[in-house]
Amino acid sequence: MRRDLVLVLVIVAGLSAAGLIAQWSDNHKPQVNGQFAEEELYLGGRTAKHASLAFNGLAADWYWMRSLQYVGRKIINFEDNSDSQVQLDMLSVLDLRLLPSLLRMSTTLDPQFMAPYEYGAVILPTFNDQEAVALLNSGIAQNPDAWRLYQHLGYIYWKRRDYAKAAETYAAGARLPGAPAWMGAMSARMKADGGSLIAAREMYARLYEASNDEDVHKMIAKQLMRVDSLTERDLIRRILSDYHARTGRCASSWRDLAPLLGTTRLRFDPTSGEPLDPSGVAYRLIKDGCDVDLDASSQVPHR
Amino acid sequence: MRGRSKNSARFLLKISADTKSTTRVYSRRMFGRILTIAGNAFREAVRDRVLYNLVLFVLLLTGVAVFIGELSGGQERKIIVDLGLSATLLFGAFIAIFVGVGLVYKEIERRTLYAILSKPVGRGEFLLGKYLGLSLTLLVNVTVMGVGVSLALVYVQRGWDPLIRGVWPAVFLIFIELMILTAVALLFSSFSSPALSALLTFSVFIIGHFSTDLKGLANSMGSAPARWFFAGLYYLLPNFSNYSVITSTAHGISPAGRSIFAAVAYAIVYVAALLAATTLIFSRRNLK
Repeated sequence: MRRDLVLVLVIVAGLSAAGLIAQWSDNHKPQVNGQFAEEELYLGGRTAKHASLAFNGLAADWYWMRSLQYVGRKIINFEDNSDSQVQLDMLSVLDLRLLPSLLRMSTTLDPQFMAPYEYGAVILPTFNDQEAVALLNSGIAQNPDAWRLYQHLGYIYWKRRDYAKAAETYAAGARLPGAPAWMGAMSARMKADGGSLIAAREMYARLYEASNDEDVHKMIAKQLMRVDSLTERDLIRRILSDYHARTGRCASSWRDLAPLLGTTRLRFDPTSGEPLDPSGVAYRLIKDGCDVDLDASSQVPHR
Repeated sequence: MRGRSKNSARFLLKISADTKSTTRVYSRRMFGRILTIAGNAFREAVRDRVLYNLVLFVLLLTGVAVFIGELSGGQERKIIVDLGLSATLLFGAFIAIFVGVGLVYKEIERRTLYAILSKPVGRGEFLLGKYLGLSLTLLVNVTVMGVGVSLALVYVQRGWDPLIRGVWPAVFLIFIELMILTAVALLFSSFSSPALSALLTFSVFIIGHFSTDLKGLANSMGSAPARWFFAGLYYLLPNFSNYSVITSTAHGISPAGRSIFAAVAYAIVYVAALLAATTLIFSRRNLK
């Protein structure tokens, strides 16, 4: 009995001491050099596929989750060291140089795995659109019937402002079995007014529907807010211009514009009557009431 | 003259009937003996806590089902199928290899084999019984794991998931692959030490998954002897690539009935050949 008690005490004391030493080591560990964290993958996709035997699907999942962790860690680091939040259009500041290789590896291991293609289509164009196009083209080569990949490739061309190529890609996707009718409509829109805000809104709305990743969802939702806010600000500017034309001066407050604003579909603050942006923060008048802008506290991306 | 020929015909008929009934009785007894050995092999595996790996599997899958949503970016169903079926294959392969190579060796080591073979039990019957016993263990193992994967999918989907329908053909093909691997382990263990047998069986498991590359290599060879050598290896070694449907199952693509049938037919003839070779070697082995 006494011997057992001694053994239990040794176990508890040993584990506690091990925990304390591990904690001390963690606190005193030198920072891992950034170059090691960004080290290129040792194996090529084809080699990894061979080496993984029948477990290539599992290996693809591993690289997929590693991609998400890689981007997520970079976002957390950035937001910890800066006041601003990461937006879809400013991902280049994160230096995601390893992401193309990770996504490539995942899709080479499992070419039917759609999530990495879709994720790559949204994230890669912000800093390496060549890689994005190459990834999506390889996905289409492996999955010629997947219309979603055409949608994502079309998005990449749209981001490059290559509207003709985007229209062509949407048209090709629309011809596939099971493709929704809006793919054809999107092709026509790209051809007619690819640079318009309406096209941008539809593009982001379709991308939002297609995406499963929470971070990507949040980033696209912000882009949707931005597009909506740009449309609203265009409308308010027109009203300001009308007001100026009628009265010969700019508005001194939102109250001056109330009759004109009341005819629009804008949302208003119930107490102050000020028009609200898509994040629920009131717009502010600038340039002595001749122009409108987002408030500094707004969640809508400023650019 | 006529009477004599009638009598001899009757005599031949009687002999034939006696032979048939003796053969039937002998076959029935032989199957009885094989099943007894199989039952004992299964009980022994259970007593050796082989099925304890299921606890680890359940813990793994439960952990994945609960936490993977945070890490997978909405791909938890695919990951559960990939991980669950990969673990089923991996755990099963370890059981087939490490238990398979000890099936005969342990009986020789403990000298229990002499007691068995001193009874009217053939060496072939003994081997077949042992093989079926381990196959039964593997069947129980993969079935419980299949149920585990299905339940994890139900948990993640909060109800019926169409992927479950595809999981079972994949589990079945994994079981068939493990049956081939068990036969390979048994073959090696009939003439080699357990450590070497395990190493050789594991090598066959790996090469078996490269078999399509082996065929490609054979076709790309310039010299005819090299081409024949690699083609020979391709046909001689088990082709496990026909049983690898884990990745496609995770995408909801089930193997076609035709390919399942071909995989089962291949396994039957391949296992029969391996067991025949094992019996041939084992029956010539000097056990003194």
